[in-house]
Amino acid sequence: MPIKVLAFAGSPRRHGNSETLLDWVLGGMIADPDVVIEKVALDEANINPCRGCNACEKLNKCVQRDGLDIYHDRIIDADIILLSSPIYCMGIASQAKALIDRAQVFRSRKYVLKLPVVPPQRRGKRLGGFLATAGQDWDHVFNAAIPSVKCFYHVIDIRDADISYLMINNVDEKGAIDRHPTARTDADRLGKSLVTEIKKRLAEKGS
Amino acid sequence: MTIKVLGISGSPHRHGNTETLLDSFLDGAKAAGASVEKVILKDLSYSPCRGCNACHKTGECVVKDDAITLFEKILASDCIAVSSPIYTMGITAELKGLIDRGQFLWARKFILKTLYFSDDHIKRHKGLFISTAGQNWDHVFDGAFPAITAIFNGTGFEYYDNIIANNMDEYKGIKNHPTALKEAFEKGQNVVRVLGTLGKN
Repeated sequence: MPIKVLAFAGSPRRHGNSETLLDWVLGGMIADPDVVIEKVALDEANINPCRGCNACEKLNKCVQRDGLDIYHDRIIDADIILLSSPIYCMGIASQAKALIDRAQVFRSRKYVLKLPVVPPQRRGKRLGGFLATAGQDWDHVFNAAIPSVKCFYHVIDIRDADISYLMINNVDEKGAIDRHPTARTDADRLGKSLVTEIKKRLAEKGS
Repeated sequence: MTIKVLGISGSPHRHGNTETLLDSFLDGAKAAGASVEKVILKDLSYSPCRGCNACHKTGECVVKDDAITLFEKILASDCIAVSSPIYTMGITAELKGLIDRGQFLWARKFILKTLYFSDDHIKRHKGLFISTAGQNWDHVFDGAFPAITAIFNGTGFEYYDNIIANNMDEYKGIKNHPTALKEAFEKGQNVVRVLGTLGKN
């Protein structure tokens, strides 16, 4: 059975540090023949910000017709969902924030309309991963990003305990991550461990 | 000398809870004699920061759009009130998009060293954050503060105060909140008085 991996690269800068980190995680997965990867550069995905209209609370869908039309279904279908973003001004990039805010449609489905986001038998069989890089060397530089990331995974039925994080600070200019002592190895290891874990979960009997 | 107050509404939703709270703040500022202007981010046309770092060399953004004009307006103000509702534990993508575009000012300050705000300047320029959240958690605003700090630091404003109200879902809107609108009006009056006492530099 294929393992579907959906990877969102949230940086406006193509092939910069955070996307490279994401690629390294994907690199750790791709050797497995069951893994099918779809990678999306959010800067090119035409996903507008949420309008805050709350229409999804009644309609169970978003009133905007844009790139999310495609990724809505793929978010539901995926077994592993990765999101990468650089830290800008102490938070995730606005492209990644737009995706997260548009997940409001899932939040409305789950909490207002009380409908399932994924079929009950797939709950607990989805994993998430957040990859981030920051130019600053402060340890707390990622703190403000994490609550939004948790919200995103929560509303798409990926549990807190099933989110992995790999966040690398002190990498600023393009390519700086190549010189980081552990980032590449850690990312590769994370990719492999996510595949091992999802295989174990998928092999378990439905809950 | 008239105190210039600029309100920035980061909500995609016109006349919702956050903009109403901002309006009350601006009304207070006006009542205290300030000249007041409100900018609606969703009506402007600007793209997010591209992360190209070209500004690190030139101090200028390569993208010329409404964000640049707005930063000029911010720099010419005595007080700015930056407002956004909380969406998924942070500010809206519209406001984050604007804040990230301030990178060219950061580059001027820290790389090119062509921009410097004296302590005295910062003291005479006050920034306030105005926000509402549906959730009743006390920590619901925590993810917003660091980005707001970033825009105030970048533009030479003292982070003077917050006007924040949570639990909007339960109150069924800001108009039913017992204190928030009054507090915003009073804080608008108060900051203009304080700035008047300090005098312009």
